[in-house]
Amino acid sequence: MTFLASGFLFASLAVAAAIVALHFIVTRQPRAAILPTARFVPDTRATTVAPARRPSDLLLMLLRVLLVLAAGAGLAKPVLTPSRGAEARVILVDVSRSARDSMAIRDSVRAIYRNGDAVVAFDSSARVVTGNVADTLGALRPTTRRGNLSAALITALRAGSSLRDRADSLELVIVSPFAREEFDAATDTVRKLWPGKASLVRVVGPATDTAAGASSLAISAAADDPLAVTVALARTTATAGGLIDRGAIPNERRGMSSEEAAAASAAARPRGAASRQASMQARASEGDIPRRSAAPLIEWPAQTRPRLATQRPVRDTVGGVMAGDAVVVSTFDRQWSFPSDSLRGAEVIARWVDGEPAAVEKPDGIGCVRSVAIPVTPVGDFVIRHDFVRFVASLSRPCAQITSLIPADPALVAKLEGKGGLAPRAAFQPLTDAHSDLAPWLFALAIALAIAELFVRRRGRDTTALARTGKSSASDEARAA
Amino acid sequence: MAAQADEFDEYAALLDAVRGIRWPARSAVRGGIPGAHTSRLRGISAEFTEYRPYRQGDETRRIDWKLFARSDRAYIRLSNDRAILPTMIVLDASASMAFPTATNAKWALAAQIGVALGAVARNSGDPVGLVVAHGEEPLLLAPRMRRSVTHDIIRAVSATRPGGSGPLAPSVSIAAQSGGRLVIVTDFLGDAEELLTVASRLVAAGREVHAVHVIAPEEIDPPSEAAMVSDPEALSVRRALTSDTRERYVAAYAAWRDRIAHDFSDAGVAYATAIVGDETPDHLIRRITAPRGMSATA
Repeated sequence: MTFLASGFLFASLAVAAAIVALHFIVTRQPRAAILPTARFVPDTRATTVAPARRPSDLLLMLLRVLLVLAAGAGLAKPVLTPSRGAEARVILVDVSRSARDSMAIRDSVRAIYRNGDAVVAFDSSARVVTGNVADTLGALRPTTRRGNLSAALITALRAGSSLRDRADSLELVIVSPFAREEFDAATDTVRKLWPGKASLVRVVGPATDTAAGASSLAISAAADDPLAVTVALARTTATAGGLIDRGAIPNERRGMSSEEAAAASAAARPRGAASRQASMQARASEGDIPRRSAAPLIEWPAQTRPRLATQRPVRDTVGGVMAGDAVVVSTFDRQWSFPSDSLRGAEVIARWVDGEPAAVEKPDGIGCVRSVAIPVTPVGDFVIRHDFVRFVASLSRPCAQITSLIPADPALVAKLEGKGGLAPRAAFQPLTDAHSDLAPWLFALAIALAIAELFVRRRGRDTTALARTGKSSASDEARAA
Repeated sequence: MAAQADEFDEYAALLDAVRGIRWPARSAVRGGIPGAHTSRLRGISAEFTEYRPYRQGDETRRIDWKLFARSDRAYIRLSNDRAILPTMIVLDASASMAFPTATNAKWALAAQIGVALGAVARNSGDPVGLVVAHGEEPLLLAPRMRRSVTHDIIRAVSATRPGGSGPLAPSVSIAAQSGGRLVIVTDFLGDAEELLTVASRLVAAGREVHAVHVIAPEEIDPPSEAAMVSDPEALSVRRALTSDTRERYVAAYAAWRDRIAHDFSDAGVAYATAIVGDETPDHLIRRITAPRGMSATA
C-alpha cells in the first residue's frame, strides 16, 4: 500500500500523539479549602494542570486517536500498490485535419496498443481515451481542427504519471503524419520534459492536388476594379493562388440558370453549398480553376454583401487590418461584420485591429472558400502599396487543408523523436488527484468514530455530574449532621 | 461536672495571668453606684477635692462646720466621686471565626479575650455582660457584678460553636442598651460598614467602645499551595488562590485591614488587632486595657 499524500498521514500521527499526551495531562481544580477572607482573592480561572501516570478516559482517548488516524489516512489517499509490468506505452494518436487517413491511423494504433497502455487522442486539444479503448479506436475520425503536438505531449506527461505505478519503463509512441502546422514554438521544450526516446509512427495522408494550391492568383472583376492591380502585383508572391471573385462573373458564364443565379445573388442571403458548388462549377467550366481544385476561392465582393457577413447596425471606420504577418494600416470604412454564429466551422484568416473578424475561411471539399469583408478604396496609391499587396497575397495563400498536409521539417521530427532509451517510472511525478478507493471508507470510519466519541464523552460527563451530585449531597448530609 | 471543670481549667492560667490588670475608663464615667472609675459627679467620698461656698439647696450635712467655725463662712466640702462602669462584651461567633477549621483558633482567641476582659472588668468591680452573636438569635448575659459572672462567661463561650453568617451590628445594638463600656471582638468579615456606623453613634453618645480585630496568621499569609478557597459565610464565593493570585490577595487584605483600623480609630473606637499566636493572651489584654496614650509592655 502506498499513500498518495503521505503528509496527511504524518500530520495525523502527530495529532494523535498530541491527543495521547493531552490525556496524560489532567486538568483539575485545586484542592478545596476554607478561607474567610476569600473575597480578597482575585476572581480568576480555577483549574490547574498536572501530569498523570495513567491516561484519563482510556476509551475516549482510543476513539479520538482512531478518529484522527482514520481521517488522516483518508486524506493521505491510500492505494493498494498494483503489480507492475516491465513496460507500458503512452500512444499519442493524431486525429487532427492533418490525419486524413483514419483507417491507417486506427490500424497503426491497434498494432501498437497492448492492454494497460494509455491512448491520447489529439487535435487542437488532447484527451486520454478511457473506457473501452478498442471501441474508441474504431470510432476515431479526423476532425477539422489543427493538430497541436504540444498539447498532446503535455497530456502524455500526465498519462505517464498515471502509468508510473503499472510499469517500470514507459514508452512514448506518436502516430501522426507530422504536418508542419502541428509543431509550434513550445513543442521542442515540452518534448524535452518527456525523458527518453519517442517512437514515431508516420501515417501518410491521401494524395492531394497540392500543386493546385500553388496555382497563380486570378481575379474575376470589372475592368476598372482597383484590386486587379494589386492582384497583378501579388502574383509575384510564391504562395499566392486561387481566384478572387469580385462579383463580376456573369451568371451565364457561371453556367447557372437565371433562377439559380437570382437565388444565388439575392442580396443579404448567405449562399448555400449548392449555389457555391454551382459557382465553382461555373468557374471550372470557365477554365480558371480545375474541378475539385484545392486552390482557395476568395469571395471579395466590391459592392454587395460578403458571404456569411451581415450589415453592421452602424457603419464605422477602423484603422487597420491584419492577416497572418501582413498588416495594413489605413482608414477602412467598415460596413459588414461576421456574426458569431456564422463562424461555426469557419476559421478567421484576417482581423481588424479591434479584433473583429475581417475575413473567414470555410473548408469546401478539398479546397476552401474565403469571404472577405474589407473595402478596397480606389483613391490614392492604396492598392499598390506594398503592405496591401502582401496582405492580398496572405489572403490568397493555400487553404488550411492544404497546409495541413505539408510535412514538417525532418529536423523538427528528429527532435521530436529524441534520443536515449525508455523513460523510467521514477521520472514521473505521482498524480496528486489520483483516486483512492479506500479514502471514502476511511472517512466513513472517521465519522462513525466521531459519533461514538460524542456518545462516550457525553456519558462520561453524565457520570461525572452524578458523582459530583453524590459528593455534594454527602457533604450536605455531613454538614447537617 | 467533669466537663465544666475542664472548661474552667482551660481558662485558669489566663485568669491567673490577668488577675492584677486594671481596666480604667478612658474618660470620666457617669455617676451612679460607687465603683472604681472616676465619675463626672462631685460626691461625698473621703477623697477631698475642693471647697465651694454653700448655696441654697445644698445639703447642710455637707457643710464643713470646722471651717465655718474658724472663718464664719459656710463652705461645702467637695470630693471626687467614683462609679462603676458596666462592661458589655460582644463576641462574634460567625462561621468566619471558626478558622482554621482544624483548630478554630480565631474563635478560641476571641473566647479568651472575652473571658479575660470580663474577668478584668469584674476584678475592677464593674458589672460584666456578654453577647455572643451566633446565628440569628444572639446569646445574651446581662451585666452582673457577682463573682460567678466569669464562670457564666466561660460556660457560655465554651458552649458556643461558631457558625452562621448573621450580621453583628444588631447584637452590638442589643449590648449597647446596657450602657457603659462596649467591647466588640470580631474579625470584621461580616457587616463591617454597619458595625462602624453603630460604633460611631455610640462613641458620639459618650460611650467607650473597644474593637478587637481577630486575625488568623493563615489569613495574612495563606499557604503557598494552590487551593480553591471558599468563604464559609458565603459559599458562592469560590476563588482560586494560586501563586498568581496570592500576591494580589495579600496586598488586598492588608489594605482592607488598614482601612478598617483607620476608619474605626477615626470614629473614636479603641481599635486593637489580635493575631492568633502573635502574643500571649495576658499581653494582649494589657494592650487592650491600657489607658489612652499608653501601650502595654510585654
